[in-house]
Amino acid sequence: MLADFGYGILVVAFLTSVYSVGAAFYGHFEKKQKWVESARLAMQLTFPLLSLAALDLLYLLATNDFNVSFVYEVTSRDMPLYLRLTAWWGGQAGSLLFWSWLMSAFATAVTLRNWDRDREFLPWVVIVSSVTMAFFIGLNVMPFFEENPFARFWASTLDGSVNAYTFQPANSVAFPTPDMVATFDGNGLNPLLRHPGMIIHPPMLYLGFVSFVIPFAFAIAALVTGRTDDRWIRITRRWTLIAWLFLSLGLVLGGRWAYDVLGWGGYWGWDPVEIAAFMPWLTGTAFLHSVMIQEKRGMLKHWNMILIILTYALIIFGTFLTRSGVLSSVHAFAQSNIGPAFFGFIGITFVTSISLLIWRWADLSSEAQMDSMLSREALFLLNNLLFIGILVVCFWGVIFPLISELFTGQKVTVGPPFYERATGPLFAGLVILMGIAPLSAWGHSTIKTLGRALWKPLIVTILVTIAFVAFAFTNREVINDYFPYAIIGFFAVAMTAFITLYEFWRAARARSRAQKENFFISLWRLAGRNRRRYGGYTIHLAVVLMAIGIIGIEMFQTETQVSMSRGQKIEFSGYTIEFKDFYSFKYEDNRWVNRAEMNIYRDGQFLTMLAPRYDVYPDGQPMTIAGVRSTMIDDLYIILVNWEQGSADLAPFKIYHNPLVNWLWLGSYLFIVGTLIAAWPDKDPESLPARVRGKQTPVYQSTSAD
Amino acid sequence: MTQTNPTPASPRRGVPAWVQVIVWAILFGLLALVAFGLRNAQQGTVQVGDTIPGFSLTLFDGYQYQDKSTVSLADFKGKVVVINFWASWCKPCEEEAAELEAVWRANQANGNVIFLGVDYTDTEPEARGYLTKFDISYPNGPDLGTRISQMFRIKGVPETYFIDENGVLKYIQIGPFASSAEIQRVIDQLLND
Repeated sequence: MLADFGYGILVVAFLTSVYSVGAAFYGHFEKKQKWVESARLAMQLTFPLLSLAALDLLYLLATNDFNVSFVYEVTSRDMPLYLRLTAWWGGQAGSLLFWSWLMSAFATAVTLRNWDRDREFLPWVVIVSSVTMAFFIGLNVMPFFEENPFARFWASTLDGSVNAYTFQPANSVAFPTPDMVATFDGNGLNPLLRHPGMIIHPPMLYLGFVSFVIPFAFAIAALVTGRTDDRWIRITRRWTLIAWLFLSLGLVLGGRWAYDVLGWGGYWGWDPVEIAAFMPWLTGTAFLHSVMIQEKRGMLKHWNMILIILTYALIIFGTFLTRSGVLSSVHAFAQSNIGPAFFGFIGITFVTSISLLIWRWADLSSEAQMDSMLSREALFLLNNLLFIGILVVCFWGVIFPLISELFTGQKVTVGPPFYERATGPLFAGLVILMGIAPLSAWGHSTIKTLGRALWKPLIVTILVTIAFVAFAFTNREVINDYFPYAIIGFFAVAMTAFITLYEFWRAARARSRAQKENFFISLWRLAGRNRRRYGGYTIHLAVVLMAIGIIGIEMFQTETQVSMSRGQKIEFSGYTIEFKDFYSFKYEDNRWVNRAEMNIYRDGQFLTMLAPRYDVYPDGQPMTIAGVRSTMIDDLYIILVNWEQGSADLAPFKIYHNPLVNWLWLGSYLFIVGTLIAAWPDKDPESLPARVRGKQTPVYQSTSAD
Repeated sequence: MTQTNPTPASPRRGVPAWVQVIVWAILFGLLALVAFGLRNAQQGTVQVGDTIPGFSLTLFDGYQYQDKSTVSLADFKGKVVVINFWASWCKPCEEEAAELEAVWRANQANGNVIFLGVDYTDTEPEARGYLTKFDISYPNGPDLGTRISQMFRIKGVPETYFIDENGVLKYIQIGPFASSAEIQRVIDQLLND
């Protein structure tokens, strides 16, 4: 009953979205504001409706209602409640609903803002958001796609076969039958997904994805209405930042999950689906930077439009890749009928956005000229080109299997070495630019002005780099084939770090002298007064920290694979590792646990005991849990290798030494802080009440076009 | 991307026709490519009538084919090859395990049919237990890195693929066989072709 209710609510939500699209169109073309208002309210209604459907599904998940096929697929009785609830996004149908639900939350939030100054945008923002929402809800609702999370099992009374349908077919009874209900158990969630990182990684990514829909909707509204000044950018700046934060967190959490759970000692495998989530991040990051040029100088208007369209398109494209089975990947959902629908949606999105862009091209011309190759806008443009360069590499790598299949009949996948070689120099260039660009002035900069701000941090960087090389030559075991690249990477990272820190210091010192304040109070107030700038600097510092971790694990990782007998000791990367003991036992949730105990020594000193595990779940799915000793200097990462059976006396291990990897996770915390500083609401006119705002002069420039 | 910077006084310039043509060509080329990929994904990479590209399978300890512990598809040229994807955790696989073994034994003697078991994401101890339980004697090996299952784009286990003497895929069975007669019927068809 509840399942039918949930489905009914979904249908209503779908119709509401469709109505809101129609009403907005009608209201706009017939110049009837009431209809536009009705469209806005309809869009607002989708959130409570989908919340109700979501609550319904959560209830079914919590109560083990295995009559519902989605519940059967993703949960089982032995799963704890929090896992049963979060299994909501553990399967295709549920995660589509989750997507729509988040989307509706953002769409509703956007309807609640004050529209007084932006009436002309409203119908178009409603149309873009509602079309997107109708599409995603439609995937759940249309029986053809077989993705209804509320579909139930029906057993045929003719041949006994059991299938999931939305509506009861003729000659069938509900399954499981009343006598089976008490014992019938579900399939259970893939054990690999039963990890805290996996519980929050998809929501973060989805949040990032759906919140980018809002800036896109405003961009399209700006294109359609021809109001091509920077108003749409100012309105959506925070949305973009928040979207970007969630997307970044989603990526980092995914990496953390891979590092903890997948057991290959890495955090990023250049898997097609990882790249699919990374591509919108690249264009989104480029967008965040280039919009500043439009705000300050009225330039790059075309470019910003292209970037936000690309970001939205890549989000839909990435979702499509993950869910259609076009690419094989560890992330992919099972084969599904929704591929063609997504394909059609992508086609419509592309064609509509590009048509609009070409139509409005002339209205988007720049208001200023690029004067100096070293000006802030020139360097930002270079930053954009580097991001796009990385995007091109990624995109090529993702679609290459399709191209090779088309021409040779064989699906050739490109591996991590391709991406690493092709993007490495671009990333290094980005890190260096990240340090230098903020120093240059808008409009005009020369070598001289830049040099004045640069020379002190540069000298420190050179000294530190020399120290780093000297350290390496006194510890020759760290020198490997990558060493020259590591030096370049380290130099870039150190330079950007020192320049950024120097900027903080210079500004805070100046203020503390002028205001006679404590240095740290000055630093705090400074950041508070110019949140965008200092939030940005903080993010840059965070990226530097993350880059240190990446250089460490990418260039200095060492690994070995050994079979050790009990009591044996080996030397590895300065550690002595002793295989102390081995236990094999059945855990209370029926998984079979194989647990090795390893004593770790350094210079004869006992450090810790690590316990790598190899668990086998009742359904045969194995899970490798690494034993990790983690410090700021390095991680010692030991796994019991799968496949061969470890015995109590001889067990195979894979051991990784991952220098500096903790800086990667540390950096991501700082990253959050930085983004929050940058996005924290301040007293800008956008957030002031209308009556106060009315007295102020508009902060945006009037448009040159039209 | 074009970064032309017309002075404010310059005439309004749209996108030149040739650029538009290129943009649309790229866009539709890309969409066509994705459509092609999607079509293949919906059909699976291998279809009935395709010549199956070579692959090799390392057999479980104790299984051999002509004294070799690694077999490749080329070794079976001139024979009908029955490739069965299974896993020890797969309940439906158990339904057909005994039947497959029975048909294998019945055909083993005449030498022009070979069965191959490919174990999909499994653990060796469990897999061995399964093989022992059903007393399976035809060559069996783990699909390391799921390379073979990816090549066939299997959607689940069990799935069984029948390849004729010339290496051409002739029949695909999704899900378990109901009886040994069914399996034998497909083999006979291939042998008689």
